[in-house]
Amino acid sequence: MNTSLIKHLCTLLLRTNGELSTISKRCYQSHRIRNQTLDKHRTSPLNKQKTEDAKNDSKPVTNKDPEVPTRFLQKNPEFLPNPDWGYRDQIAEMVERNDMYRRRRNIFMPEFYVGSILAVTLADKFALGKTSRFLGLCIYRGDQGLHHKIILRNVIDNEGVEMMYELYSPLIQKIEVIKLERRLDDELFYLRDCPLEYSYFPQDMESQNIFKDMPVTTNTIKVKLNPRPWSQRWERVDLQGVEPFTGWKSEKQRLKLKRLANQPQVKKEWEKMDLMKHYRESIPPEESMRIYGEVVKDAKDWKNREERET
Amino acid sequence: MAVRGLFRSSLQILTQRSLPFNDLHIKLAEQVSYTQVRGTRSYKRPLRHQPRPWHIKKKASSMELYVTPENKAFLREAAVAHYNNTPSPLRNEPWPRNEYTSETIRTGVIGVKIGVIPQWKKDGTKILCQLIQVVDNHVIRYNPPEKFETALGFNPHWKHKGIGSVVVGALSCTPFNYTRKYTGLFSEAGVPPKRILTKFWITPDAAVQPGTPLSVMHFRAGDYVDVSAKTVARGFQGVMKKWGYKGGPASHGSTKFHRKAGSVQVGKKEGFWKGKKMPGMMGENWRKTKAIKIWRVNTKLNLLYLGTGVPGPHHGYVRIYDSRCHKHRVGKLERGGNVPMPTFYADDIVGEIPEEIYDDQLYNFADPSVEFSAEQSK
Repeated sequence: MNTSLIKHLCTLLLRTNGELSTISKRCYQSHRIRNQTLDKHRTSPLNKQKTEDAKNDSKPVTNKDPEVPTRFLQKNPEFLPNPDWGYRDQIAEMVERNDMYRRRRNIFMPEFYVGSILAVTLADKFALGKTSRFLGLCIYRGDQGLHHKIILRNVIDNEGVEMMYELYSPLIQKIEVIKLERRLDDELFYLRDCPLEYSYFPQDMESQNIFKDMPVTTNTIKVKLNPRPWSQRWERVDLQGVEPFTGWKSEKQRLKLKRLANQPQVKKEWEKMDLMKHYRESIPPEESMRIYGEVVKDAKDWKNREERET
Repeated sequence: MAVRGLFRSSLQILTQRSLPFNDLHIKLAEQVSYTQVRGTRSYKRPLRHQPRPWHIKKKASSMELYVTPENKAFLREAAVAHYNNTPSPLRNEPWPRNEYTSETIRTGVIGVKIGVIPQWKKDGTKILCQLIQVVDNHVIRYNPPEKFETALGFNPHWKHKGIGSVVVGALSCTPFNYTRKYTGLFSEAGVPPKRILTKFWITPDAAVQPGTPLSVMHFRAGDYVDVSAKTVARGFQGVMKKWGYKGGPASHGSTKFHRKAGSVQVGKKEGFWKGKKMPGMMGENWRKTKAIKIWRVNTKLNLLYLGTGVPGPHHGYVRIYDSRCHKHRVGKLERGGNVPMPTFYADDIVGEIPEEIYDDQLYNFADPSVEFSAEQSK
């Protein structure tokens, strides 16, 4: 049988260009267009209003693209789009990135990670002097694009306080890094169930002397958890920065919770081997390197670090 | 009011193959009678998925199995060359252009929903914007009021009087997967066949010549638009999700009665009322949101940044047109400036078109960050 005929039959069955089609969860929508067909219309020769930017965006990856240092990827994780294939679009992602470049030219965004101590000054109508400054430990950093946000935690008047900041909001005046370091975990939400002494930092804390390409240390501190009840079931999570818990009510309770945590439907060990799940929840490396190739080119025009007043 | 003899006569005419499309359109209209008949409440609507009698068959059988890939590529090139060299009707004398008044109704455009993006105002509040791209729109046909009033599908009991219609198409394709009748619709406008078509009502002073391209510059940043689209399809749903019924109790001896509707009728003789809310297919209905603001316009990529509330799924088609609210029709004139009538033409602006146009209240990311002074608050 002719190979080209087989290929044609495959395309008819899958209704794509030989690639696996994305499976939609919802039922059939008559009044919509697929992402692949819309991309074809944007660059088709019949379209006289076509945009050349869309053409460049779908260019295949070559070896001549600039090499992106791995530290640059870790510093700026927000430039990758949302990996949900049901909501992706080339033009929408490109437009969002362009807005981020414009903002980066006006404000200096320093390098920081979850576990480092930050101070953010915000324009505030109701504050004295029309600005408010908050210093705290960064316990979360997430969301893609212009949605990118951080959460700072500190203790004020013996009360745990958390502030969420959207980094691309125009209200933000200044972001300072007081101490540049990492913790053993990616998210530090367990500090809500720890004694307050672990999340207290004075508001007039002196900042570290930070220079460019400074080596980042990891803080290997291990915190203690308060006795139960907690905000989450921490015995089921593999936490590195927490001491083994000892304050059980009884031996019977410890054994019961340990047995529940080791159940297969709780541990879900098969998810580590699920290649399709990993593929759906992440962006393939070829595409991410193409995106960061653009970002590195634009990063030359970004605003640099202001020199400290001595 | 009831329409008699519509479907039977139309089917008879459709079976006669020799009739061309334009004559068929008129002859069907003669068969319809809008005389009022006693004893009938309203005219009987056709079933949901039944095509209207004046619709043409769109899709032809696919040629993929019968043509080799080399020949297919050759045919594509030939089609592109054919449509790029077809004479446009715009070469003739342009139609007269009138000024915008508060009573004119202009055409709309067809857009595609692309995504949601956050934006900030100048006072620091965050808003979410719906990105909509307007891809490859053209005017296909203009029907003046005299012609439109005699057409099928026109209802003499509509509120607007003396109104015409315009057909707009988007996303041009090669003609190989479409029927000959469908491709013949576009010969007047001199454009390749379009993937979708819609119809807008317009007043005769905003008449547009067939073949004119429609772009995002048809609208201005700061104006208000209405958007209509088909909502997200949910499939077959129960009565609690579809109509918001309360359901049954969770406990206290209820068996198999947690998400059900209660009693449906009283008495055997009368039966239950027509139009009773029951489980069934949910979503995919035409819905309209009024008065959505245009915050920002990208002229290079043909993008609209609308406010929230646009119906429909991701990558769904939407119809966008000027808001019919009296407040915004008058407000357009009060804002000043020229409203592009009937649409924007490339000769209207001297020099280059600005790439991005912002609303007065919207923050531009190229500006320095927002600051509040002590005098401002007072």
